[in-house]
Amino acid sequence: MITAEGLTRIYHMGAVDVRALGGVSFAIERGEFVGIMGSSGSGKSTLLHILGLLDQPTAGRLEVDGVNVLGLSDRERTRFRLERLGYVFQDYALISELTALENIYLSSLVRGASRDEYLRTAREILDEVGLGDRADHQQYELSGGEQQRVAIARALVNRPAIVFADEPCANLDSATSKTILDLFARLNRELGQTIVMVSHEDWHRRYFCRVINLKDGLVEGTEEQACVSHGDVPGGTKS
Amino acid sequence: MFEGLRVSAFLAGKALQRGNKGTLVLTVMIIALVFVNLVFLPSIVAGVVVLFNQQSVNYNYGNLIVEPRENEQAITDAGVLTRRIERIPGVLAVSPRLTAGGTVTFQGTSLARSVIGIVPSEERRVTLTATRMIEGEYLSDGDTGATVIGKTIAGNEDPRLDTQDSLGGVRVGDSITVTYTNGVVRRYLVKGIFQTDSFSTDASVFVTRSELEQVTGRSDWASQLLVRTRTDGDEEAFRLRLYSYGVQETVKTWQEKSRGIIGDVTNSFAIINLISTVVSLVIAVVVIFIVVFINTVNRRRQIGILKAIGIEPRLIVHSYVLQVLVICAVGAVAGLLLLSGVVQYLTLYPLRFPGGPVLPVVELLQVVQSVASLFVVSAIAGYVPAWKVAGEEILEAIRG
Ligand SMILES: Nc1ncnc2c1ncn2[C@@H]1O[C@H](COP(=O)(O)OP(=O)(O)O)[C@@H](O)[C@H]1O
Ligand SMILES: [Mg+2]
Repeated sequence: MITAEGLTRIYHMGAVDVRALGGVSFAIERGEFVGIMGSSGSGKSTLLHILGLLDQPTAGRLEVDGVNVLGLSDRERTRFRLERLGYVFQDYALISELTALENIYLSSLVRGASRDEYLRTAREILDEVGLGDRADHQQYELSGGEQQRVAIARALVNRPAIVFADEPCANLDSATSKTILDLFARLNRELGQTIVMVSHEDWHRRYFCRVINLKDGLVEGTEEQACVSHGDVPGGTKS
Repeated sequence: MFEGLRVSAFLAGKALQRGNKGTLVLTVMIIALVFVNLVFLPSIVAGVVVLFNQQSVNYNYGNLIVEPRENEQAITDAGVLTRRIERIPGVLAVSPRLTAGGTVTFQGTSLARSVIGIVPSEERRVTLTATRMIEGEYLSDGDTGATVIGKTIAGNEDPRLDTQDSLGGVRVGDSITVTYTNGVVRRYLVKGIFQTDSFSTDASVFVTRSELEQVTGRSDWASQLLVRTRTDGDEEAFRLRLYSYGVQETVKTWQEKSRGIIGDVTNSFAIINLISTVVSLVIAVVVIFIVVFINTVNRRRQIGILKAIGIEPRLIVHSYVLQVLVICAVGAVAGLLLLSGVVQYLTLYPLRFPGGPVLPVVELLQVVQSVASLFVVSAIAGYVPAWKVAGEEILEAIRG
């Protein structure tokens, strides 16, 4: 699903070059729930931005869903994000003028779905994330956890090949964080959704079926492990 | 293309619906005022032109003016020609006029003037001067030794009240003396004073044509024939008709005769108008630019998110342009309402110009042009800042 080879990202800060990624290689298979972990400043966000086609690496090769994405034009990248990727930001990033439902179906509308179709899909997904009764609420009427669930629903609406999430629980208390992580685990287990999540919280580790450890912009190691979504580890809310 | 429009329209609609209402109303109001400003001044200019044209026809020229053949001083068989033109279909009346140069004197004040000799019964059917007497009465066909003069030349005893050279306060019953260029001197009793508000007519001195024939010793001469037609606006066609009926004298339309003056007036107004238009449009551009600029800068992050989820920058820019177009449309409608209020008021209480009351004349073309130019400049003024912000790197924008 994802093949990365020698991904490098250098930020030019005046005379100083900051090497955020120093040649990162790994592969992620369809249906995996992968955690990218590492301390603050280790390059996790930089990597996820590149995987999510929001940024371009300075060097390296990257194949996503069978496409050499580094060869795409701006326009093709935009289309690719719309149709094949979902992205969940740390601070939810909802469009404040839109209701929960509108935030969710916007991507579907952009893709050209009919009104009936996008309304139906958006409602289904809103139910799936447990916010069926919040459809017409705007951002300011929703709690942080609810906003993040809307953001996850938005990322899912076009049935993407991969969902990326960059520290989606960083602004939430641990109880709410757990419901979000459970939601991701359930999506992975029940829909086979490929998920790549960044985290630096050690207790999140048991949700990931594989962990890529980053340190100073380099892969320090990869571990396959028992995880909640495979039912190997207790703690997840069973649905 | 239309898929894109659907997305832009959706975003624009929600932004208008849930955005800041105060800014929205204020922007619409400014656009409305700019629109009024774009249309109002031209409507007054058009009103002045209409007034001036009416005066040209009603007091100065009639519809057509028949003048002597080339190289001739006068129309020497005025009676025959008058009768002949009167019989041409569509001609209402013909008034032969004979003019003679002279100096008009009243109580020591002298002015050089052409004295116009008319046949009062004929002149009444061509011009409306006889209906604008403010003192005394109009001439009768048999009058000799009598004159009617305009309010401007009659003037006031207090010279500060005069707008042009005058005889210093002539009243009905006074006598004025005319010394003609051929040496003949006549005393005339002022029988009436008129005020038409037409500059040249109100500065004129009229006597009967038979009186002037005695002065000049020429009978059946005319300097010009004023022709009134049944319909206004067909002057060119009537001119050709006169020629086709064998008139060999020079035939001019009132438009040709007054072109110089009205041309000067409209040219001066055109310059004022251009300045006013440019200022109005610049105001519209600046306002729209600032509103959209502030709007997009405040939403940098939001725009970044829209791009991150896969919406093309182009569609985001279009959503802002669409918002601007909606604001313009509502503003134009509001402006139209405002304008019709102003026009209605000025129709009831017209502006008093030196030439008379001026009613605003709103021309459809002007309205269409103003709306169109407003739309075009606003769309550009909205496009530029939206395009600048939408072109930013996604991560830069999202970071805020
Ligand atoms: N836009 C940027 N300009 C310059 N340096 C950056 C930029 N973004 C990140 N960095 C640097 O790159 C390194 C990795 O950052 P990041 O990927 O955000 O780490 P993490 O998400 O793991 O905390 C850090 O040293 C950070 O300061
Ligand atoms: Mg980070």
